[in-house]
Amino acid sequence: MAIYTVGRRRVIFALLLTSALLLTLDLRGNAAVDRVRDGFTRVMEPVESATGVITNPIERAWNGVINYDDLELENQALQDQLDRLIGTQASAEASVIESQELQALYNLPSLSGIETEVAQVVGYAANNLDQVVEINKGRRSGISVGMPVVNQAGLIGKVTKVTDNTARVMLVTDSRYTIGVKITSAVRDGDTPVDTTPSGLTPDEIEDAATTTTSSTTVPDGDPGSTTTTLPTGLPIPESTLPGASPLPPIDELPSDESGALVILTDPETGEVLDAAALDELRELVSSTTTTLPEVVVEKEFGALEGRGRLLLPQIRFLQDNPSLAVLQEGDLVETAGGLESLAPTGIPVGRVANRADRPGSGGPLLDVELNADLARLNFVRVVLYKPLSEVEQ
Amino acid sequence: MFASFVQGPLVRVIPLGILLLALQRTIFVELQVNGVILQVMMAMAAAAGVAGGSERGAVVGFIFGVMFDLAEGTPLGSTAIAMTIAGVVGGLLALIAADPHWWLAAIFTGLGTAAGVASVPLIRAFIGEPEPFQQRLAVVVAITAAAGAILSPLLVPLARWCLRMKKAEWTQPVGEAAT
Repeated sequence: MAIYTVGRRRVIFALLLTSALLLTLDLRGNAAVDRVRDGFTRVMEPVESATGVITNPIERAWNGVINYDDLELENQALQDQLDRLIGTQASAEASVIESQELQALYNLPSLSGIETEVAQVVGYAANNLDQVVEINKGRRSGISVGMPVVNQAGLIGKVTKVTDNTARVMLVTDSRYTIGVKITSAVRDGDTPVDTTPSGLTPDEIEDAATTTTSSTTVPDGDPGSTTTTLPTGLPIPESTLPGASPLPPIDELPSDESGALVILTDPETGEVLDAAALDELRELVSSTTTTLPEVVVEKEFGALEGRGRLLLPQIRFLQDNPSLAVLQEGDLVETAGGLESLAPTGIPVGRVANRADRPGSGGPLLDVELNADLARLNFVRVVLYKPLSEVEQ
Repeated sequence: MFASFVQGPLVRVIPLGILLLALQRTIFVELQVNGVILQVMMAMAAAAGVAGGSERGAVVGFIFGVMFDLAEGTPLGSTAIAMTIAGVVGGLLALIAADPHWWLAAIFTGLGTAAGVASVPLIRAFIGEPEPFQQRLAVVVAITAAAGAILSPLLVPLARWCLRMKKAEWTQPVGEAAT
């Protein structure tokens, strides 16, 4: 039996050649192919919606079984992050406003004047090669190919294909993605402005370090109880002014807490009650705070950010390290550079430098960038309706 | 002509392709194993090859590939070539055994899927895409091949139904039966 005949081979070759022909037509840009693609997408929309609804319980069950522990850990980490962010939000907002005012004052380009369109991510790429998402806004909303897409954290990609009601966004991690970026020196975690006392401890740290106990022996009339506070051991109070050097202050001069309960401060080592002079010194220590300002942000270098595929950090190339000006290092901030031909305006935050790899010769260093945005969990995004300056001028 | 279309395999292949494509783009994007998206359409093309031979596998792979490219926005024909290869490889491997056991069919389907998935970056490289070969390509190929093999007891009978084929029945030759 002729299992593998010329006729069979002919069919296979014909199919492969047809594929090559379609590929050529599509890559050269063919209106008919685009129309067919749009039509097929419309046909698939209701089928996919229905399938999504039907398979949703299976997805949830899978995620419940596979990702439960990760989700719990992530939840805790997010809660910590949220607490930190709430603390810095006010100062960050003030800084943004200040920056925008300065940019407006000097007629510098800024993001505030550019319109945006909010869209929702409705699908991810179904293959293991492309890093592409689909959003539910398209040509009718003013979106066109090349526009940058951001979320609250920063840049996530650019629009690569647009239909009337949908658009495809190539993510920063896609190996075909490249954009010009600038690297600026970062304010490290330790550099954030903090109020400190001459002891080097913050008022909060002093308060946290103090141990509080309730005593039943010194209860004034009508009070539920008095509080004895032991000073933190790290507090550098000269030994000569600590208890015993002067007599105990009168009871009306002793400090009380918010509830009105009597507060008695004692020496952590001896347990003796502090005298008036020691209390005054303590008041001075806590009230005389100084503010440490962060270092000035410096633009260090410009380069090209390139995606490297799924689960790999994007890299910045074409850098020249000049130690006499500034050293590129981990933690530096990365923003879009903008420019006449750039598809993105200047100043969109991208991420932070996570690793630096030096290359031999004149290649310059390679920088891995930890993105601000979590590309695995995109929901609402914002398309920046920006056209390159070169196109606007035409 | 209409009668031949209705009685032919296309009337089943296309709706099945739409259904699998919808599943591929919804649930299989979520059910990732070690960050790898399982390629059910590629596995189905390979299974069609195992069930119906390399020619039929190639036809099914081509149709599924074109549908995938149209829906995904990937260059039209790039995945079609890969799925055609998957179907052909599945069919060629099935020549080893005339009526393979389920576990042999699973191995063939897995290998066909692996060939298809491995050829995707090769095709992308041919059309000028920068750096299509990922560092974790081996992991992607291994996991998708394993998934194809695991799904094959479901996919091979489905492919047989789709191609209007019946499982081979071995009967005793007439002469021998008489003796």
